[in-house]
Amino acid sequence: MRFQTFFGMLGHWAAIDSDAPALIYEKDGEKRTESYAQLLAAVRDRAETLKVCAGRCEAILADGSRDCIVEVFAALKAGLSVALLDAAAPDETLREQLKACDTGLVWGDEDLCEELGFTALAQTDAKPGDVLFFTSGTTHRAKAVVLTEESLCSSAYNGGALLPLQPSDLLMCMLPLSHVFGFVCGLLWGLSCGACVALCRGVRHYLDDLATFRPTALSAVPLLLGFLVQHELLNPELKLVLVGAGDCPRPLLQRVKDRNIRVSFGYGLTETSSGLALSLGTDPMSMTVCPDDRIRIAEDGEILVDAPTCVMKGYYKDPEATKEAFTEDGWLRTGDLGRLDEEGKLTITGRKKDMLVFEDGTKLFLPEAEAELAALLPGLELALYQKDGKVWLAVAGDADEKDVKRKIVPWQDRQDRSHKIAGITLREDPLPRTATGKVRRWEL
Amino acid sequence: MSREELRERTIKIIRDCVPELADTEITEASVVNTDMGMDSMNFILVICKLEAEFGVKIPNKLWKKLSSLGDVLDALQKYGA
Repeated sequence: MRFQTFFGMLGHWAAIDSDAPALIYEKDGEKRTESYAQLLAAVRDRAETLKVCAGRCEAILADGSRDCIVEVFAALKAGLSVALLDAAAPDETLREQLKACDTGLVWGDEDLCEELGFTALAQTDAKPGDVLFFTSGTTHRAKAVVLTEESLCSSAYNGGALLPLQPSDLLMCMLPLSHVFGFVCGLLWGLSCGACVALCRGVRHYLDDLATFRPTALSAVPLLLGFLVQHELLNPELKLVLVGAGDCPRPLLQRVKDRNIRVSFGYGLTETSSGLALSLGTDPMSMTVCPDDRIRIAEDGEILVDAPTCVMKGYYKDPEATKEAFTEDGWLRTGDLGRLDEEGKLTITGRKKDMLVFEDGTKLFLPEAEAELAALLPGLELALYQKDGKVWLAVAGDADEKDVKRKIVPWQDRQDRSHKIAGITLREDPLPRTATGKVRRWEL
Repeated sequence: MSREELRERTIKIIRDCVPELADTEITEASVVNTDMGMDSMNFILVICKLEAEFGVKIPNKLWKKLSSLGDVLDALQKYGA
């Protein structure tokens, strides 16, 4: 089903079967089930309260709880815009993001709000119905992608059209709702199909949530999937896994398939409200383009996207970056390289943008990160690269490893766990570069 | 429990959870990510195992502040280990 609003989505399924379960979650140690009709009523009630704030932006410190979901849906219903922030991100990152989205309304854990000391009130440029997601990895310069309820609903429709769930299905939501992949594929995919969504009880329950809720479908980033497989946590009822938001090793996909679980690999960006293409056949890397999206390959191999219903409105208050993100004829530049086969199936072949993508779905933008590090290590030539899934720093020149390690501490302290530099290599020779001066990272 | 005993038991659990660290020297100053090379999922596993081992619960919002082994030991002691 195609919806334009989250409220409309809930209303549709509530009208068909008012008792149909929408969410399963735990509160105060008790497992609770909430029907589509009950969830709809909760959203309506909360929206009434929020109406006085219509036209403003509410920052939601997303903790994946049922109340958090109600808050998002209600705020949009009440005519607010919403910025979804990761409650588990470092405080400095959260402060930066709160500042960047011009909000004076913050929803979240009271202690955390107080700790952040957030009291400022400002006028937002976001429009009612806008949903702001911060691109993962931009820790210093907070950059928000402006999506809308409609674009997120369209993305969920795309997923459901290619990989339909049934009302009898139970989708496990384990990913952060502040990431568009988690929000669309962990929550909206299920709700748009009238299925029930089980809400993860927090990271400490990663070890037992699947055994507790016994889902039939799961969306995961490669790192989480690898963890669940390694510790044999996939439950026998599980029949479909959607993995995305990062490169996934083929042996891992095979190990899931060996358990008679269908695996689909998804490709998408925050800028496209998540899914652009999904693998449906036996080859997880050969992906069918979603119904609302058109893809073409530029001369240099970059994947370009035309998807009016799903593509972002732009980067929040950054018209220059928004302009750069599109070609002159309006196609979104993905920064990824790929090819289309004769059947129109998409395969990703590499990355054009200067960024690292991690198995937990987060990204590190290299020019920005390297400029910050260069300021801490003046006179040294440096570059970041990825080795065994971790960040490494290459330094050329007269440098001492202990000294470098000490000087980069302020940068390390600001990074998400997966972005911290895990190792340093010292080089006597200059860094290898292309004719145009770009670092040949693959040679580091 | 003394700090020393807590440290030794914690290091043993870390090594059990992340076998790659068998030969790595781990001190209180060791930073979980950079010196131990632990990814975020292994970090979650280690903290869960430590909580179970010592019968404590470290509030979720403190997890992101645990940088070094010393921080982890401080948190375990603060919450009853």
